[in-house]
Amino acid sequence: MIDMRSLVSVVDDDESVRESLPDLLREFGFAVEAFSSAEEFLASGCVGQTRCLILDVAMPGMSGPDLQRELRRRRHEIPIVFITAHRDETVRPRVLEQGAVECLFKPFSEAALLEALNAALRAA
Amino acid sequence: MNVETQQTAAEVKQLKACINDLIGVVALPAIWSGGEPSQIARTLLDVLLNMLRLDLVYVRLEDPLGEAPIEMIRVAESRSLTGRPRAIGEVLNRWLGDDPQQWPPLARNPIGGGDMSIVPLPLGLQGEIGVIVAGSQRADFPGQTERLLLSVAANQAAIGLHEARLLSAQKRVANELDQRVARRTTELAAANEELRKEIAERRLAEARLHEEERALKRSEALLAEAQRLSSTGSFTWRVVTDEITWSDQSYRIFQIDRATPVTFGLIDNRVHPEDLPAFKERLEFARSDGRDVELDFRLQLPDRSVRYIHVVAHSSRDEDGKLEYTGAVQDVSERRLSDEALGKARSELAHVARVTTLGALTASIAHEVNQPLSGIITNASTCLRMLAVDPPNVDGARETARRTIRDGNRASDVITRLRALFGKEGAATESVDLNEATREVIALSLSELQRGRVILRSELADGLPPVTGDRVQLQQVILNLLLNASEAMSGVHDRPRQLVIRTERDEGDRVRLTVQDAGVGLDPHGVNRLFDAFYTTKSGGMGIGLSVSRSIIESHHGRLWAAPNDGPGATFSFSIPRGPEGVKAAQSLGAMRTSSATDAQHVMRNP
Repeated sequence: MIDMRSLVSVVDDDESVRESLPDLLREFGFAVEAFSSAEEFLASGCVGQTRCLILDVAMPGMSGPDLQRELRRRRHEIPIVFITAHRDETVRPRVLEQGAVECLFKPFSEAALLEALNAALRAA
Repeated sequence: MNVETQQTAAEVKQLKACINDLIGVVALPAIWSGGEPSQIARTLLDVLLNMLRLDLVYVRLEDPLGEAPIEMIRVAESRSLTGRPRAIGEVLNRWLGDDPQQWPPLARNPIGGGDMSIVPLPLGLQGEIGVIVAGSQRADFPGQTERLLLSVAANQAAIGLHEARLLSAQKRVANELDQRVARRTTELAAANEELRKEIAERRLAEARLHEEERALKRSEALLAEAQRLSSTGSFTWRVVTDEITWSDQSYRIFQIDRATPVTFGLIDNRVHPEDLPAFKERLEFARSDGRDVELDFRLQLPDRSVRYIHVVAHSSRDEDGKLEYTGAVQDVSERRLSDEALGKARSELAHVARVTTLGALTASIAHEVNQPLSGIITNASTCLRMLAVDPPNVDGARETARRTIRDGNRASDVITRLRALFGKEGAATESVDLNEATREVIALSLSELQRGRVILRSELADGLPPVTGDRVQLQQVILNLLLNASEAMSGVHDRPRQLVIRTERDEGDRVRLTVQDAGVGLDPHGVNRLFDAFYTTKSGGMGIGLSVSRSIIESHHGRLWAAPNDGPGATFSFSIPRGPEGVKAAQSLGAMRTSSATDAQHVMRNP
């Protein structure tokens, strides 16, 4: 079951993702915060409350995997669902190995997103 | 013995002596033969002095050439006469006088020192040869026998001297003749030598002329051969009379028999009907304009084959000021065909380069398309959910629908850009905003650059003048430089992967684009080969990107070059003129790629 009070944070440099994805997640009933970069997320003060992180792989500056490492270093065990528009098949195993719950390739279906979120929240 | 007998014996003895003396005198010429007059005179004096027991004998020989006479004198040893022969001669001359006819047959004591009988005897009939003077102190001198002997001796001497003179004259003449002959011989030899030289020179000149003729013939043959090999004929055209002359090769090019007189009617008949109006118009213009002509047209030959002809003609005026053209007519069909083949090959290579670049960009392209697709699906899902609740969230649905359309357009833009860059072959020549073209390329490759952790900084100059050229090809070059720069930095971990793309005005009304990376830099050994086709340092590269890029920039009359940075990495730049030159370049480029472009268009427009 989805915990309605869970905060889902979205980190993506693409503005359209930051617009559309939070709206959909809110439709699911999540509380959502969106950030345009890893640095912005780390500085936001939302890190501790975040139950699930939806994280873009490639971003200017700190990348998704960079943030993943940084969070582990800081001992924030936040379940991460990676999203990426790159069809780079090497990315998925790499991030999963580092502990990510899922890695979705854009465009992904609503069902795939929900399934990944569920898995993430179960892991949390 | 009685007195009479004694007298007779004395007479006989005297007579014998006289005969002996006569024989001696008569024999003198034999001694003189071949001698000089002075030698004759000398022996004559000696003989007379001894034979007649004279006290003095003098001889004066007139010089036949009017020079000073020769004078000699002999005196008996017992006598000591003072004075030189000349002085004695002068005394004798005064006494004898100038005219020998008037000389006294006998004179006495002309020179003092006691009595002396003097007998002058002229030499020659009128003394023209000279004179002999015999003198003796004897009272009975000259006796009858002595007169006879003197007279015979004088006669003999005259004869001998005359002969000697003749001989001497002969010798002189002979000598003169010899000299003249020698002189003449020398002159003749010189003349002969001169003549020989002249002949040699003439022969040389003839040989030279011959050689020149041969060289001319050879040169003519070479020219004919060169005309044949280069498919170039020559012609002249006297405008006022329309007289035209053709070289053999011109006849061959037009496939007209050599014997046929050339007329414009004949030529018009060969010119391709489609080119004929322009051809005639051009000639009419040349006729009135009188300036140099250059024109291209096609021939349609009797066998229906078509040849491409290039003509250049230089105008000149003859001595009457009449206009004449001299020119060359060249069959450029083969060259045109090979140009076309080369163009086709180049175009194919460019196409391969584009496709290769496309391969490198696949991930980036997927990203660019997937991003808006993802937005579309997410927004559409949200929209459906907003409409599914009761009451429906219409405002939210409207907003998400709007976003769906926006993302759809974004995806569509990506496809349009892709088509522009990789498929669609638009008008080859257009006015291109290099900044805009660069932005489009950056948009397509941004995610690729991002993936390579490249930090891109673009410094696009404000108010950059547009260039005239082939936008797609220029974008291909920019993309190639960007991707190369990104790749050059893929192994860099110790410094930012900084990439700067810059546009700016360049000197000489040109525009420059620069791509600067912080990558591995240029291999000093390979830098000269950077732009060679199929030269690559990349494991997956084909080595055609830079080669094709350079040929594209060069066809825009521009230049593409690489230079190492002061720090790490390299900078690639191109500079192209923005003026009409660019238009020309791009036109030829357009022609170059027509054939393969048509195929690509066909494929892209009918997917």
